[in-house]
Amino acid sequence: MLTPTILCIDDEALGLQIRRAVLERAGYQVLTAVDGPAGLTLFREHPVDGVVLDYYMPEMDGCAVAETMRRERPEVPIMLLSAYINLPLEVVTLVDVTLLKGEGPAELLDKLQRMLGAARRSATDDGKPGAAR
Amino acid sequence: MRPPAFNRTLRQLVALPIVLLILMAGFMVWQIVAAARAQRDLDHSDQITVELTELENLIIDQETGLRGYQLTHDPVMLAPWQAAAGPVQTGFANLQQMLGGNATQQATLAQLQEEYAQWLGFADAVLHQDPQALLAAGMNQRGKALMDGIRATMGRMLRHEAELRAQEYQHAAQLQGRELISLFGSVLVVGMILALFTRHHVRAISDSYLRRIGEISEQSEELYKSRQWFRTTLESIGDAVIACDGEGAVTFMNAVAVKLTGWTPDEAKGQPLKTIFRIVNEQTRTEAENPVEKVRRLRRVVGLANHTLLIARDGREFLIDDSAAPIQDADGEMAGVVLVFRDVTEERQMQSALAASEKLAVAGRLAASIAHEIHNPLDSVANLHFLLSDEKDGQQRAEYLRLAQQELGRTMQISRTMLSLYREPKAPVLLDLGELIEGVLLLLDRRMQHQGIRVETRMTGAAMVEGFPAELRQVFTNLIMNAIEAAGPRGRIGIRMEAAEPAEFQGSGAIVEIVDSGPGIPQAVASKLFQPFFTTKGADGTGLGLWVSMGIVQKHGGSIRVATSDDGEWTGACIRVFLPARTLAQAGEPAI
Repeated sequence: MLTPTILCIDDEALGLQIRRAVLERAGYQVLTAVDGPAGLTLFREHPVDGVVLDYYMPEMDGCAVAETMRRERPEVPIMLLSAYINLPLEVVTLVDVTLLKGEGPAELLDKLQRMLGAARRSATDDGKPGAAR
Repeated sequence: MRPPAFNRTLRQLVALPIVLLILMAGFMVWQIVAAARAQRDLDHSDQITVELTELENLIIDQETGLRGYQLTHDPVMLAPWQAAAGPVQTGFANLQQMLGGNATQQATLAQLQEEYAQWLGFADAVLHQDPQALLAAGMNQRGKALMDGIRATMGRMLRHEAELRAQEYQHAAQLQGRELISLFGSVLVVGMILALFTRHHVRAISDSYLRRIGEISEQSEELYKSRQWFRTTLESIGDAVIACDGEGAVTFMNAVAVKLTGWTPDEAKGQPLKTIFRIVNEQTRTEAENPVEKVRRLRRVVGLANHTLLIARDGREFLIDDSAAPIQDADGEMAGVVLVFRDVTEERQMQSALAASEKLAVAGRLAASIAHEIHNPLDSVANLHFLLSDEKDGQQRAEYLRLAQQELGRTMQISRTMLSLYREPKAPVLLDLGELIEGVLLLLDRRMQHQGIRVETRMTGAAMVEGFPAELRQVFTNLIMNAIEAAGPRGRIGIRMEAAEPAEFQGSGAIVEIVDSGPGIPQAVASKLFQPFFTTKGADGTGLGLWVSMGIVQKHGGSIRVATSDDGEWTGACIRVFLPARTLAQAGEPAI
């Protein structure tokens, strides 16, 4: 099976670099962007298997980015990262998985793997992508 | 009847009887004088009759003596003759005088005297005659004839006098009758006049009196009604009311006042207000100034000092909010003091609770920012730890460790900043307001970046003010957050600060204006902005932010106003905050 490609978007440059290292260590191919528009450009140019998206960003926040992605390629699963404990409900229902920053890399990798697995299954079954929480 | 009319009537009532009685007395005197004159005439006639009778007796005595001598020739017999001679002459002289006013009687008297003189002539002849001749019949005849003449004349005089007397008697009787009739008549007339006159005036007075009594009873009825109305009104109002006289003794207290002071109106009546209304300062517990004294001193409505605590008779304590006003009489003199107060204990507790809940909301927001700020580096550290756990390359490990150290340092930095925000000094400190606002902006920087908001600050010089930094930070966080929300994504906010020179009613200090590019505040909303629970943010706002901010600024002795921006560049609201250089705020004092 091909190495899945993950698109990582976060305005925190340092945190983004470290997350990229973690994901690469876990065997993923990683694309990074430090804001929403740059992330959307990469999303359109590359076949992406999953998105790890920060919610709180200047100019265009995670919610706006996720909406655009859902419109363009709804089959791509999205994981929303946030430092906030209480995210708006409409965002939670829009994305597949949410993760609180600080939950740790094990949780990140575990949720990412399950999200991708669920997306693959639904693609094979032609069903709706299930939400792994 | 007005007092002048009443006095006139009284004067008339006294004067008329006096005048009438004087007239009547005059009339009576006239009558009495007439009656006395008639009586005198009557007495005169009686005296004349007596005198005449005596004269007749004397003359008879002389005749008897003369007869005796004629018969006996004894000179002893002549004794009566001689004895009567003198008195007869006196009698004639008296009669002469008494009959002065009556010509007829005078003439008769003269005739009598003449006849007596003839008789005396006869008697003289007898005395000097030869005693034999005395017995001659002719002699006796002549003497008898003369004496008869005297007697006849005397009789005529007596009859005449008797007639006169009868006439006089009749006149006197007539006078007496007339006197009685006029007496009764005048008494009747005067009595009638007095009765009618008095009756008329007394009736006028009585009518006026009755009318007045009617008016007075009507007035007193109205007075009673209005008194009851006022009493009921005072009794019914929700605030406590105590009224005192000018000396400060309690005259009235309503039900609420009874409840709060623990004194019943009967017990409190007449007691000095100080006894009934014991007030102390809530914080220092020193006795507060007696409101009666204060009103007497200032002669106007006074509000009592803040934080006044009323101590009831049973020791219960109520925080009260009150005012006292002078009661002035018609001459403008102070007749008493009315005191109105109410229990604000619950209100104050509620305000404190609201302030505390806003503080909690602020703390909650702060906690959210802390979580956000800390979770980012924490996430990186966790990831670095994961990478380090099976990294073999020493150089790479060192790099990861350095990054982890850097992120931990960032966490420490954030935590330290947040803590300093919340650590509050005990007393107001001198602080640089510009620096404080910069700090707030730094804290909100991420949020503003997120919404693409531009901030334009213009701070003219350093403004040093005294205050509590955390509370002031809360105020400016609130105001700037509101401006951010009003400006909306990609909006602009402006913050201007300048030192304020001392002006009327205001010392030196600093003025901060916060403007935004939003739609502005409608007039209807502006007036409610500082009320608790007023929010335009729906479920996202507590509606307490501006209310608490107002409380904090007021506690510092400053003010917050919503102004319209005079700068055409800024279309939105303009919030202007003044903070004095020297604050009046005390530590521990609630902001609200």
